Order: sequence, then structure tokens, then C-alpha cells
Amino acid sequence: MSGSKCTRLSGALVKQLLDSVDSVLFDCDGVIWRGDQAIPGAPQVVNLLKEKGKKVFFVTNNSTKTRKMYADKMSTLGFNVTEEEVFGTAYCSAMYLKTVCKLDGKVYLIGSNALKQELEAVGIQQTGVGPDHVAGKQADWANVPLDPEVKAVLVGFDEHFSYMKLNRALQYLIQGRLFVGTNSDTRLPLEGGKAVPGTGCLLQAVETAAQRKAETVGKPNHYMFDCVASQFSVDSERCLMVGDRLDTDILFGSNCGLKTLLTLTGVSTVADAEAHQKSGCADRQGMVPDYYVESIADLLPALQG
Amino acid sequence: MAGAFGFKGCQKIRGPQIRNLLEAKDFFLFDCDGVIWHGEKAITGAAKVVNSLIRHGKNVVFVTNNCTRPRENYVHKFYRLGFTDVMLEQIFSSSYCSALYLRDVVKICGQVFVIGCDGLRRELQEAGIPCVEEADDPDATIYNCALAPDVKAVLVGHDDKLTFLKLAKASCYLRDPDCLFLATDNDPWHPLSGGRILPGSGSLTAALEVASGRKATVIGKPSRFMFECISSQFRGVDPAQCLMVGDRLETDMLFGSNCGLDTMLTLTGVSQIEEAQEYRNSELTTNHNLVPDYVVDTIADFLPAFEDLDEEGN
Repeated sequence: MSGSKCTRLSGALVKQLLDSVDSVLFDCDGVIWRGDQAIPGAPQVVNLLKEKGKKVFFVTNNSTKTRKMYADKMSTLGFNVTEEEVFGTAYCSAMYLKTVCKLDGKVYLIGSNALKQELEAVGIQQTGVGPDHVAGKQADWANVPLDPEVKAVLVGFDEHFSYMKLNRALQYLIQGRLFVGTNSDTRLPLEGGKAVPGTGCLLQAVETAAQRKAETVGKPNHYMFDCVASQFSVDSERCLMVGDRLDTDILFGSNCGLKTLLTLTGVSTVADAEAHQKSGCADRQGMVPDYYVESIADLLPALQG
Repeated sequence: MAGAFGFKGCQKIRGPQIRNLLEAKDFFLFDCDGVIWHGEKAITGAAKVVNSLIRHGKNVVFVTNNCTRPRENYVHKFYRLGFTDVMLEQIFSSSYCSALYLRDVVKICGQVFVIGCDGLRRELQEAGIPCVEEADDPDATIYNCALAPDVKAVLVGHDDKLTFLKLAKASCYLRDPDCLFLATDNDPWHPLSGGRILPGSGSLTAALEVASGRKATVIGKPSRFMFECISSQFRGVDPAQCLMVGDRLETDMLFGSNCGLDTMLTLTGVSQIEEAQEYRNSELTTNHNLVPDYVVDTIADFLPAFEDLDEEGN
């Protein structure tokens, strides 16, 4: 990548950038929508990119929806998108367990129904989804019956998270099962612009109890890109990642050798990016985007022209 | 603080060396789980050791990170397991000390949001500290939950009734930088008898640290605060006269080190002598603080020393 970074994308530069890529990957929350409202102009941007022959994909760390649920939400908001173009961590975690870990057995799941559905869609059975409260005495909890067919523990966002679930995960992990997390985001954005503790908190609880680190599927790790690339022909050198978070989206783009574009309709600011740039820390340079825009609607003039 | 018989020597001692140590020290601090008992079973000889120390005029206190019972319950347990001379005043649990911290150090004016069990709440109530009611709120969801007014601290301990909703509420309260963030202890897991373990307070605290982006102030071992509680209640405690006896390097030995006490590792619990040796050989000098001065297989190894002392007395 050339020396200059964190450049405001405007004017002729927009067309230049778009001409240099064949594929565009979008994060969702804070990039194409906020809660249940599309970012103004976002549907037009996505639809025009596709009309111009670009491949468009959606890469989100949010594990609470299946690809179909995302595609339905997108249709409602005016985006012309198919299921196959959506890569959420529920789908990607199932694919990771199936094709990379080659899991032969069940999963103990701390996660949503969506994650359960994506697992079942690739033929992986799970146990554990839904509410799970303590009963009995302490001694009972440590001796909780373990399903011998469980070969992996998967942690995703789970509003039913409880001590008992944490305990079961620990008991499985002590016996040396595979340990996978969907993502490590600290907060999960909700409808209406609110936010709650994210999967990262639940994962940290399990990692601390088990004194082990999980393999994480989501951004900034590169598996989700591998997943896209395994199904569509995507050349990383002609690919643009558009996101709103420096520590997940932009770092993901850098890790995969993609061009990166920060949009300011979400979490991170230009000041955050410049701070990383000026820090002089090699580790932090991956979080500096190549370009930034106020909103992805800024791409419209170049697409409409 | 150098041990009288070797600087963090991690040295196994017995017989005459133990006797000399018992004569040199007059204040003994014992951890409980894995040191004097395993669950509901006293370690063989432990009750006799404790009773003998007390009979020989030594000060004995118990310092435990276990925050699940109020101290009254501990008195009953001590009695049940044969430690007949132990009184309430000798018991220092992380829940009791958390209550003291809120009452005497912070002098809290406002409510505390507690993620913890009944034992913890009772200690707080006994110290006169108002806790947010654990309301049965069937309509509350993580998307929409009522927050109590005037919450000035969040306290996290072992909570077998932990829910996502509690984590969500706690992280809302912690958005106020003036709201304190306290944890009873940082133990990632607790041992049960038979080599089993359960998730500890440390795992819940870690979750909340990630959610809030803040670090908790830890009351229990290895933080110094519990020793400050002991010092304020037993006037004139001289660290040089103390011996901390525990089974967990990362809590008990480090606690002893942090407070300037001599430390003894007993091998009836969590940590193995090999782990202590690894810390001793570590290039990281901070790891040396986890190395015990002395090591015994079990505290029952003190018993021959008492027999000698008793014989001399006769």
C-alpha cells in the first residue's frame, strides 16, 4: 500500500478508487444501517455498485441473525441482495467448524437460535441453546452430565447467558474440547441505537474460567474473507472493505490485504484513526484506513455520473 | 521481606524448623479451602493444629476469598468440622471485607448494585449498606430495563444466578465514572473436592471489565485490603510477626508478599511445588513474589512441633 493513508475520499478520487476494485465488502451496523433504519443513500449505493458489475458482499460480526434473516431485512430496506452475498458470524462459524475444524460431533452452544439454525444447516447438532438456570447444589454443578458427543464449545451472543451456561462450557473445556468464539466485540448494537454488552464479554468470562483463549471467527481475523473467497472469485488486490470500526473492520481489511474505507456514520472517528497513525506503533498501523467518508452516500455522485 | 530461614526459598520444612518458626511468629493467617478443609471435610490434623495454636496463645485468623457465606455460617462450619475454638472475629471473608470497604473507606452514600449471592448481600446489609433490590421483573428485557436511582457502586462476586440482564444493568451503571467498580476477588475458578472446579468471581468480573471498559478494584487476595481490615481490628499487628499459610500461589502467596508477610505453601490444595519452582526460576522478577518462603505437605506437619513444645512445657 502506498505511504499516504487516512485520506478524505472525494472528487475524482472516488471514481479512481471504485475503478480499481471489482469487489466491495460492507460491514452492516453503522455502515449501511443503524438499527432498523438504512443510512440515507446506502441502498442506492449498493444497488448501483451491483449494476456497474461490482461484486458486493456483507461481512458482519453480529451472530444473532441467519443469512436469510439479514437478506430479508436488507430487502425490506431497499437493498437488492441475495442470501449468498451475506456473511454473518453465525453462518461463518458453522462453516469454520465444518470445513476448517472438520468437526465430527456435536457443539455445546452458548448462542442464539440463529446460530443454532446455521449449525444445523451444515449438519452440526448442538446442545445448550435457550435458558439454563442453576438447580441443586454446588457439587451437582461440577458434576453436571456431559454429552460425550460434544466435541466443541462455541460462544456467540446469547441473551440467555447464565452462570450455569458458563459452568457447562467450563466443564466441557476442561476435558480439552475445541474452543471457538464468533467474535470479540465488546458491545452489540441494538435496534433504536441502543447497545448492550457484546459477545466479547461472554467470551471473556469463559476464557477466564477455563484459562484458555478461543479461536475467533469474526473480524479482525481473516477467516470471513477466506469464506467469501472460497465461494466467489475475489482478488484481494482488487477488493475494498468498508467499515465503521477501526479495530474490527479496518484491521480486518488490512489483515487480508484489502483497500480500506472508513465511514463516519458509526463508531470510530477520524481523530481515532489519526491517533493510531501518529502512535508510531507497528501494531496500530493496521487500524489506519486508506480513505474515509462522512457516509457511504458520498460514493453516489461517482456512481451516478 | 526476607524469610527468617531463606529468602523466598520455597523450602520444604519439617520438625525442628517448623518448631522454630512457630516460636518466632505470633500471628497466623490461614486460607481455608485446600488448607484447613476440602469442602465439608477437615484436612486430617488441621483442627488439632488450629486449636493448639490458639491454646499456645498465638493469634489465628482466617482469610478467605470465598464470598458465598456470611461469617455466621462460617462459625458453624468451623464448629461442625472440629475447629471448636474459632470465633466470628477471627474470620475475614472477601464479602465481609467488601462491606467494610464500602462502609469505612468509601463511606458510600447511595446504593450498591450487587452481582453476587445471598451471603454477600447479607454482609452488606449487616454493615448497613443499601443494595438495589434483586427485583423479580418479568417484563424486563435486555432491550428495556429500569435502572435504580442513586447507584454509587457496582460490586461483583460469585453469582450462580448471573444473567445477561444483570451484566447489562451493571454496565449501564458503570457508564457513570463516579460509580465505583468493585470485585470481591479475581479467582478465575474455585476448586471443589475431588479435583473438580467451578467458574469463579474472576470470570464474571472479567466479563464486566470488557463490557464497561473499566478495571475493577479487587478487595480480596492478593490485594492488601483484607490485611488492612485485620490490622484495624487487631491492634499492633506487626507484619514481621506474621505467617500467611495458603494453597494458591496467585492469591495467598502474592497476598503475603504484598503485605510484607512470610509465606507458607501447603500442598493439600490448588498449587503444586513445581509451579512455585517455575515462578522462582522466572526471568520476570514480579513472578518471584508468588514464590513461598516455606513449603509443607500439609499443615498437619505442624503437629510434631506442638508435641515438642508441650513436652518442654512439662
